[in-house]
Amino acid sequence: MFGWLRKQASSAPARAIDDDAFDEEFQRRLEALAIASRRLVSGRMRAERRSQKTGAGIEFADHREYAPGDDFRHLDWKLYGRSEKLLLKLFQEEEDLSVYLLLDTSASMEFGAPQKLAYGKRIAAALAYVALSSLDRVSVLTFADVIGARLPPTRGKSRIFKVFEFLRGARPEGRTGIEGAMRAFAAQHKRRGVAIVISDLYDPAGFERGIDALRYARFEPFVIQLVDPSEARPPLHGDVRLVDRETGESREVTVTPRVLERYAAAHAAYLAGIASYCAQKQVPHVVIETSTAWDDAVLSVLRRGGLLG
Amino acid sequence: MEWTGLSLGQVLATLGAFGAAVFVLYLLKLRRRPVEVPFVRLWHDVLAEQRTTRLFSSLKRILSLLLALSVVAMLAIALGDPRWIAGRDEGRTLVVLVDSSASMGATDVEGGRIEAAREAVRRRIAAMGADDRMIVASMGASTVPLGPIDGDPEVLEEALDRLEARDVAADLARGLGWALDVARGALGAEIVIVSDGRLDPPGELVEARARESGIPVRWDRVGETETRNVAITAFAVRRYPIDKSRAQVLIELWNPGANAEEIELTLLGDSHAGEGVPLDVTTIRLGAGERATRLFENVTGADRTLEARIRLADGTRDDLAADDRAFARLPERRRARVLVVAEDDIYLEAALLLDEYLAVTHVTPAQFPPSDDEFDVVIYESFVPAQPLDAPSIWLHPQPAEGVQGPLVVEGTIERPFFDRLERDHPLLAFTSLRDVNIAEALAVRVEPGDVVVGADARGPLLVTGTRNGRGFVALTFDPRRSDLPLRVAWPLLLLHAIDSFVEEASGHFSSYRTGEPWYVPVSPNATRAALVDDGAEHPVPIVDGRAVASSERAGFYLLLTDGPDAEHLAVNLGPSGEADLAVATTMPIAGEPSEAPAIIEAPVRGEPWAWLVLIAFGVLAIEWVTFHRRWTV
Repeated sequence: MFGWLRKQASSAPARAIDDDAFDEEFQRRLEALAIASRRLVSGRMRAERRSQKTGAGIEFADHREYAPGDDFRHLDWKLYGRSEKLLLKLFQEEEDLSVYLLLDTSASMEFGAPQKLAYGKRIAAALAYVALSSLDRVSVLTFADVIGARLPPTRGKSRIFKVFEFLRGARPEGRTGIEGAMRAFAAQHKRRGVAIVISDLYDPAGFERGIDALRYARFEPFVIQLVDPSEARPPLHGDVRLVDRETGESREVTVTPRVLERYAAAHAAYLAGIASYCAQKQVPHVVIETSTAWDDAVLSVLRRGGLLG
Repeated sequence: MEWTGLSLGQVLATLGAFGAAVFVLYLLKLRRRPVEVPFVRLWHDVLAEQRTTRLFSSLKRILSLLLALSVVAMLAIALGDPRWIAGRDEGRTLVVLVDSSASMGATDVEGGRIEAAREAVRRRIAAMGADDRMIVASMGASTVPLGPIDGDPEVLEEALDRLEARDVAADLARGLGWALDVARGALGAEIVIVSDGRLDPPGELVEARARESGIPVRWDRVGETETRNVAITAFAVRRYPIDKSRAQVLIELWNPGANAEEIELTLLGDSHAGEGVPLDVTTIRLGAGERATRLFENVTGADRTLEARIRLADGTRDDLAADDRAFARLPERRRARVLVVAEDDIYLEAALLLDEYLAVTHVTPAQFPPSDDEFDVVIYESFVPAQPLDAPSIWLHPQPAEGVQGPLVVEGTIERPFFDRLERDHPLLAFTSLRDVNIAEALAVRVEPGDVVVGADARGPLLVTGTRNGRGFVALTFDPRRSDLPLRVAWPLLLLHAIDSFVEEASGHFSSYRTGEPWYVPVSPNATRAALVDDGAEHPVPIVDGRAVASSERAGFYLLLTDGPDAEHLAVNLGPSGEADLAVATTMPIAGEPSEAPAIIEAPVRGEPWAWLVLIAFGVLAIEWVTFHRRWTV
């Protein structure tokens, strides 16, 4: 099954197949994941059919009457307000779907074991492979407070090594500024598609404006939040000086069990706020602990988010 | 309070220096451990809430400082080694009596009771003030000071090294009397008895002295109440009078413990130097508190000494080894020298021939007295000399001539008497039958007070025994040749019994002596000096009334040397059997009061505050450590 992959590898000796993040084992599991995701979304693949029929694309095409079972998200509420009729918006089905993988490479992603960035790379690579397997156009970008490196849109399974190569070069640095980065992304990419944001969302200014910018630019945002287990219950005690990895801001604190409990409550509230926002805005949102196996996490994303469904 | 370590000034200087250092350290800002977090904003709310507890934190910090200062203070004071003087300006005089009886050799506590006692005295030495004095004495059968009265711990420790348990019982009366004599008039005198409490009461006189003196008597108790011990409490041996190659051995065993014990008893022969030859091994079960007597008949194979050993059959050791061995000496198998003063008497000669251990010398009345006058027994037949030899005597038909004083006053004759009355239990009559002996005539005699009539006709005594001039005698008031007694088995038996009784008495034989008691050992009348050999060293002993007077506090075999050719072997056993009961007493037998009497018993020794201070300091540190790491004080 991986003959063609090996062929590609042999033709590109510079690629570090033995790299920890994307080694052979990773690639083998990636292929299994692609099969599993194909089964998961069987019969609902859009890009492979290449028809001109209207469907759940990006460009508006027409309206039709609502029938039970239709996706509520595509109801035209403005029209309902005027005509009190439930009409479904029909979009021009595109030949292929653009999938943008936006990976947060701010300094806070260096945190955790495994590092959130390394974990995020694997998630991004896996999603890219699944998308490439579905003949979607995949583009990978890194961001902190601005858009960093970018991998131009590409298509086809064989391009996965380009994705690997690109992701290997991503290094954690800079402060998180989701709003600025997302605005820049939306301005630079006119072709609409699914924008998968992989980040810990630790933005002092808040991540909401960045997601809103994607929504306003008619991208379909999808938020994958990475959380290290120790962030909820940090293994701290005694007198410590907390230093923010991104900003360098420091706070002195004497950590006691009671303080830890209060922190845990604050962290849970923070996560709940993000979930509440996403639910309110109908933005698919998945929280993944980095202790979860990355392929299980990808399947979870596919199942819960209907990302490629 | 006195400072026996650093002076008060040095203590204060140490306290000041280290206290200041601690204070400065607390003034310095705590350098916190930097920890990187991905998003410090999440801590803002938590930190804001924590500010409200800053005052409480400050208080805890002050408390922590006070704890640290208190630890420094305790350690500084400990370096000063403070001692309470207990309100006195003068030092104390401690008279320490250490029980050195056999029971103190018990090993029920680590190192043995004597080591525990030594340690108890060491504690008291360590607790002595600069002006205190102490004397340490070993309280055994006698009380012996082990060193001078001194306040120097080194001198006292040296004296303490000479302490050892002896095979005797402690004489509390003697020890306490000695201690009262020493303590009399001394300032701050105290008497300390270090003992397991297995002591006899000292008696009313000493008790009264102790009370009147007002000197406190304290008791340091050593040992355990649960002990395991089996003892040999009696060991005696004698040769059979007729067959001197065999002996009869008596052993008494005692198990004072609370559990039954199975023991292995071994008899060893001739074990004076080195290991003896095993003669008999037997296993005996002794119930709790049981005393058992064992008689070993016809013991052979030992010529000079016997030793008995016991050990627990399960291979373990009991708590006291001193009473697991006992020693005995067999009577010497020399021939008894018998002088017969008689005309020819074939019956008498034949009877004396029966015993191979008799060396018989014959003289006629005309040849009396013989040139050699050293005889164990003299037999006078129908002859009463004016001046009998100074030896036990057997008189046959003792009718004195005119003007001569016989052993019995003759008042007439008795025609055809019979043994109508016989003292059947008397040793002279063992295995004899005299009731139908036919006698032609007997002397009618008058016995003296103290004489024993062993056989008699209704008209007068026929067989009398008693003492004349300090020497024993046996008298037949008839002439055996004018009776049918010589034709009977009873005749030689009667003679030999009489000779044996004198020979045994004359030898003054004791199979063993006891420790802690004076031993009166008969020596040759010509001996002028004697010495007891103990562990190769000769100790001169006096001779009083023909007996060497010796003593020792160690059980075992000894050699008594005189200026005669022969050395005497002595066997010495643990004296008091009560020492075998090792259970520690709960009361001290002084003045009949229980140990709770506060003026007499059980006052604590002076402590060493420095040790407590250090312990408390460590305790405080431990509590602080625990509360800190449990986050109770941070």
